[in-house]
Parts: sequence; C-alpha cells; structure tokens
Amino acid sequence: MINSEETIGKVFAGLRDAEASPGLERRILAAIEERTSQRPAASPRWVWSVALACMIAACLFLAITTLRRHGQTTTQAQHSTVPTDTLSADGPEKDTQVASLLPHEPIAPARTIAPARETPAVSAADALLLREMRAPSHPAPEAPLTKEEQLLLRAVHTGDPQVMAMLDPEERARQEAASEAEFQKFIEQSGGDNE
Amino acid sequence: MASVEGGSLVLFSTEVAQPEVDVTALVETYSRLLFRVVHSVLRSQAEAEDVVQDVFVRVIERHRSLQSIRDMRVWLVRIAWNLALDRRRRIWPMQMDESFAESLVANTAPADERLVEAQRIKAVLREMERLPKSERHVLLLSAIEDLGTAEMAKVVGRSESAVRALLFRARTRLRERLEARGGER
Repeated sequence: MINSEETIGKVFAGLRDAEASPGLERRILAAIEERTSQRPAASPRWVWSVALACMIAACLFLAITTLRRHGQTTTQAQHSTVPTDTLSADGPEKDTQVASLLPHEPIAPARTIAPARETPAVSAADALLLREMRAPSHPAPEAPLTKEEQLLLRAVHTGDPQVMAMLDPEERARQEAASEAEFQKFIEQSGGDNE
Repeated sequence: MASVEGGSLVLFSTEVAQPEVDVTALVETYSRLLFRVVHSVLRSQAEAEDVVQDVFVRVIERHRSLQSIRDMRVWLVRIAWNLALDRRRRIWPMQMDESFAESLVANTAPADERLVEAQRIKAVLREMERLPKSERHVLLLSAIEDLGTAEMAKVVGRSESAVRALLFRARTRLRERLEARGGER
C-alpha cells in the first residue's frame, strides 16, 4: 500500500518536474522564423484578380495564335500536295496543251485558290491540277469489252438453234409431239417384226 | 510576415501594419507549460520538445485568428494536448516509459534496489495506460499540477464536476490495481 502510493507519487513528481533541455525557447523561435521565411507572403485580393485576368488573356492569345497557325498550315499543305518540279518537267508548253485539251472551263487565276492570303501566284499547270484535284468525282465511263471477254461470251452463248427453240413453249410442244409419234412408230414397227 | 525587432519575433498582417501577436512572448510564457503537458503523455524529452515546437508553428499559421482567442493558455494547452495524443498513437511508447522510469530512479541507491524501483515505476505507468481513456487523460493533466479543474475541463471537453469525478475514479482504480498486483506477487 505504502509502496504503491510512494511509487505513484514519484511518477507524478517526475511528470510535474519534467524540464526541457536548455535553449528550448531559442530553438522554437528559430524554427518559427525559418518557417515564416519559407512561407510566401500573403497577397491582397486584387493581386489575385490581376493574375487571373492575365492568365485568361494569355489563354485567349494562345488560342488565337494556335488557330491562325493551324489555318496557315492547312493552306501550305494544300499547296504542298502539288509537286511543282515534276508537274512542269515537260515545260510550260506541254502544260498549256493539256489544259486546252480538257473540256473544262478556262483556268481560274491563281488568286482564286487562296484569295485571303498573300501567297505567290500559282502557275497555270498548278492551277489546272488543283482544279482537277478539287473537281467532284464521277463513275468511270463504260468501256468496250476486251477480246478475251468477247471470246468468253461467245463460248457461253453458242446460239444453237435447237437449244434456242426449246426456249419457245410452242416449239417445244411440237418437238415433243413429233418425238412421241416417232417413238410410237418405232414401237409398232418393232412389234410387227417380232410377230 | 515575421520580423525580429529587439530580439522578439513579431507577426504582422500584410493588410494592416499593426503587430498582431508577439510570438516571442508566447514562447517564453507558455513553452515550459506546454512541454510538461506534452511530456506527461509522451514521457520523452525529445518527442515533447518536437511537439511543442510544432504547436508554435501551428500558432503562427493561424496568427490572423489569434486576437479572437479568449483564453490563450487553455487554447495552447489544447493544441499541445491533441498533438501529443496524436504523436503517441504513432510512436511506440513502451521504450519511452522504460527510459523515463530509469530516469526517476535515484542513482545513489544500490543496483538491485534501483532495478526494483524501476520495475515499480514501470508498473505504475503500465497501469495508468490501462485506465479508461477519459480517466487517464484527467489523471495526466492533474499530475503536472499546472492546470486547475476548470482548465482541465476545457482541455478534455468535460464539465468541472465530471473532471473531479473522473480524477477520483482514476486515482482509486489505479491504487486498487497496483495493490492487486502487489498481492499477486
């Protein structure tokens, strides 16, 4: 009893008299100062508003710039699909001849291709090819049969008169009746020969 | 924003250039009390100092609301108390109890007596930990003898009469259990 009371009292005294190591306050203040120096200073509300407005403006600027750049890239891609080196390899005279042979309206001037842009003038051959490229597509015209196709057709459709006649019902009935009569006649003849 | 003027750390508001709170005064006034409060839970000097430092760092993070606090002493003790309980859940307290018990034994006594005494102290600490939580908390807060019943009631969130009742029950239960342990031996 006495021992437990004494021990409890000793534990409580130990808890009551616990002392921190010297310089606790100094360490705490140093830690606070370090923390406050690391923490960014609080900004007033108008600073945040201005920052937000700047961010929105920057986003708009980026979006507009991207759209413009995308438009320019598309136009350049359309121009780059026509290899001008290979097209005009035969010379401008050949191109002009080809253009005159085609049953299309006259070649449109180059500025109609990209009227809104300040692009260099497109040559006539380029314009023709561009117009051909942009023209609506049509189904291919009906071509004549080749020699092999004609031979094949002839082999299938022989045009035999007997075969053709069988396709007619009256002719077929007449043929069948004749065949029947011929058969009866053969039977009768063969019966008389047996007797 | 913090500045050191004449050896004291003062927190300023950025909008109003008035000193809000003298942190140095707070540290000098309350750090020892907070240390004892935290130490009663953790029984480790290093851990207790760490938690006290954490208390003041949290205080400066809320320095805008400091002026609205009525009882700074109880408010700080509550922060320290809650941080200490949180820290105790995350550490292994038995080793700290052992070193605390050994620190309480007189060095002048013979080795065998010191061993027996250390075991008795450890048994008391163990039985304290086995008490119901509310009783244990009130017992630990009363052990440091710095807080009155009203302050303890605010810290643990109970009424003063409840704190007195809990304290009575805790002491009685602790004594009975220690006697029962002594009788078993």
